[in-house]
Amino acid sequence: MGNLRKNYLSNRVNRRSGKVVGLGILALILILMPVLVPNTYYIHLLIMVGINSVLAMTFILLLRMGLITVATAAFWGIGAYTSTLLVVRLDLSFWLALPASTIITGIIAFITGFPLVRKGGISFVIETLAFAFIIALVFGTFDVFGGYTGIYNIPTPEPIRLPFLAPIEFISKTPYYYLMLFLVSLVAVVLSAFYAAWTGRAWRAIGLSPRLAESLGVNLFRYRLLAFVVTAAAAGLMGSFFAHYYGSIVPGTFGPFKSLYAQVYAILGGVGFAILGPIIGSLIMTIVPEVLRIAKEFEPVFTGLLVILLVMFLPDGLLGLSRRRPQPPAKSMARMASWIRGFLTDHSRSDQQ
Amino acid sequence: MGLVYVLLASGMNLIIAISGILFLAYGQFYMLGAYILWGLMVLLKVPYFIALCVATIVPAILGGVIYRLIFQRIQSMGRQFLNGIVAAIGLMLLLGQAALLAFGTSSRGVGSVFIGMLEVGGVRITFEKVVLIMLAVVVILGLHFILQKTQVGRAMRAVSFNPDVAALQGVNSNRTYLGAMVVGCGVAGFAGGAMAPVFAISPSMGGTITLLILLVVMLGGIGSMPGAILAGLVLGLTLSFGQYFIGTGLVQILLFAVIGCIVFFRPGGLLGQPTEELPV
Repeated sequence: MGNLRKNYLSNRVNRRSGKVVGLGILALILILMPVLVPNTYYIHLLIMVGINSVLAMTFILLLRMGLITVATAAFWGIGAYTSTLLVVRLDLSFWLALPASTIITGIIAFITGFPLVRKGGISFVIETLAFAFIIALVFGTFDVFGGYTGIYNIPTPEPIRLPFLAPIEFISKTPYYYLMLFLVSLVAVVLSAFYAAWTGRAWRAIGLSPRLAESLGVNLFRYRLLAFVVTAAAAGLMGSFFAHYYGSIVPGTFGPFKSLYAQVYAILGGVGFAILGPIIGSLIMTIVPEVLRIAKEFEPVFTGLLVILLVMFLPDGLLGLSRRRPQPPAKSMARMASWIRGFLTDHSRSDQQ
Repeated sequence: MGLVYVLLASGMNLIIAISGILFLAYGQFYMLGAYILWGLMVLLKVPYFIALCVATIVPAILGGVIYRLIFQRIQSMGRQFLNGIVAAIGLMLLLGQAALLAFGTSSRGVGSVFIGMLEVGGVRITFEKVVLIMLAVVVILGLHFILQKTQVGRAMRAVSFNPDVAALQGVNSNRTYLGAMVVGCGVAGFAGGAMAPVFAISPSMGGTITLLILLVVMLGGIGSMPGAILAGLVLGLTLSFGQYFIGTGLVQILLFAVIGCIVFFRPGGLLGQPTEELPV
C-alpha cells in the first residue's frame, strides 16, 4: 500500500517536473523566436497568433459556463478604439492607454453584461450577436470613430527607457513580439489563476450543470458576469495592443465573423484545454493558410476543407489526441472505411446518443 | 427584400430546429441558387420557371450530399453543437471561395423576366415583385403543409421535440435530419433563384446575410414557422423603410438594439419556447 502511494507520488512529481521542463523549453523557444526566424513577416504572423489565441481563450472561458459568445471581437474592438481615442485625442501615453482601455472595456462589459448575462442558452447567443452588430455599426456610423474608413496613423508606443540600457524603440517587429509574448502570458497566467481559485471551481460547477450549481448556492448571475467582465477585459487589452501594433483600425475588422473565427481556433485546438488549446488552434489556422498560399486563390478552399476534416476526425480538437490512446493506423483506416460505407449505403446511425 | 428574409429564415429555421445544426454555410446555398438561375437563363437561355426549379433542386441535392458526407458523422459524436458550427464555418469558407473562383468578383444581373407594373390602390409595384411575393407565399404554405400534415413532417417535429423519444418510436432521426437539410437548402436555393431577377448577384452575397438570417430565426423563435415569418417581415421592412427615413447606419443600430430588448424580455424569441441551456 505504502509502495503504491510512493509510486503514485513520485509519478506525480515526475509528471510535474516534466511539465515544468516542457514549459521552460517552450518559453526558451518563444523568446528566441525572433533570432531563429529573422523574417519579419513570420514574426508578424506570430504576433497575430498571440492576439487570436487570447480571443479564443476568452471564448473557451465563457463556453465552459454554457455561454456561447459572438461578441468576443466586439470587445476586442472596444479596446482598440478606446486606446486609439485616448492616445490620439487626449495625447495619453500608450503605456497609460493600455491598462486604461483594459479597464474601460471591463467597465463597458460590466454595464452591458447586466442584461446580457442574465439568461443563458440561445438568448445569450442572439443578444451577443445583436451587440456585435451594434458595436461594428457604431464604429462605422459615428464620426468620432472615424467612420467606415477607420483611423490611420495611430502612434506607436513610446520607447521604454531602462537605466544602463539603450531605449527600446518600437520600430521593428521584434519589440512588439516581446510585448505580445508578455501580454499573452499575462492573460494566460491571470486566467489560470482564475481557473485554479474558487472562481474556477464555481465556473466548472456551472459548466457541469447550471441548475445544480444554482441549487448548491452558486450565484449563477454573479459568476457569469465576472467571467464576462474578465474575458472582455482580456480582449480589450489585446485590442489596445493590436491598434498600436497595426497602426490603423477599420470597423470591419471587429465584426461578428472575427468572433466566429476565434471560436474555430478554440474548438480546433481543443475545448478541454483552456490555455494551450487556443494557442495551438490559432497557430495551426495561421500557419496552414500561409503554407497553402502557394495554391494562390485556392487557399480558402483548402483551409475550409481542412477545418471540416479536423472537426470530423478529431472532435476533441488537436490536443484531444494527447488524451486519447493513440489508435493503430489500421483501426483508424477501418473507421474511415466504415464511414465511407456509411455514406454509400443507408443503414445509418439512427441510434445516436 | 423582406420576403427573401422570410423565405431564408423559414428554411434555416427548419434546419436549426430539427437537426440542431447552426448551419452558417446557409447563405452560400442562397448564392448558389442565384448563380444557377443566372447561368441557366443568361448563358443557356432556359425559361425562367424551369431554371427556378433547377435552382431549387441542385442546392437541395448538394445539401443532402453535404449532410451525408460531413454532418452525419459529426451528429453521431460528442460536442455535436459546437463541432457542427465549426464545420459549417469551414463549409462557408470553402463554398464562398469556390464561387469566387468560378464566377469572378464582379456582380451579375439577370434581366427582368416579367415586364410591367401593377397598380393597387395608388401604389405601383413591378409585376416581377408580385410574382415573387406569390411564389414565396406558395413555398411557405407548402412548407407549412409538409410540416403539419404529412408523415415526414410529423417525424420532423417529433425529432425536434425529443430525438431520443422519437428514435424509440421508430423514427429514423438521421434520415429526418437529412430531410430537413435537403428541404432547407432547397428553400435557400429557391430564394436565391427567385430574387435573382430583382437584385444583383455577387459571390459575397451569402456571407453577412447568414448572420442576419440567424438573428431573424432566433428572434422569431427556433422551431416556430410563424415566428420566422413575422420576424423576417419585421426585419426586412424596417431595413428597407428605415433606410429612407433615418439613414442606413442609425436604423440598423436601432433595429439590433430593439432585437436585443425583445430577446431580453422574451428569451425564446417572439413566438417560440424559451430554452434555458445549450447542449454544449
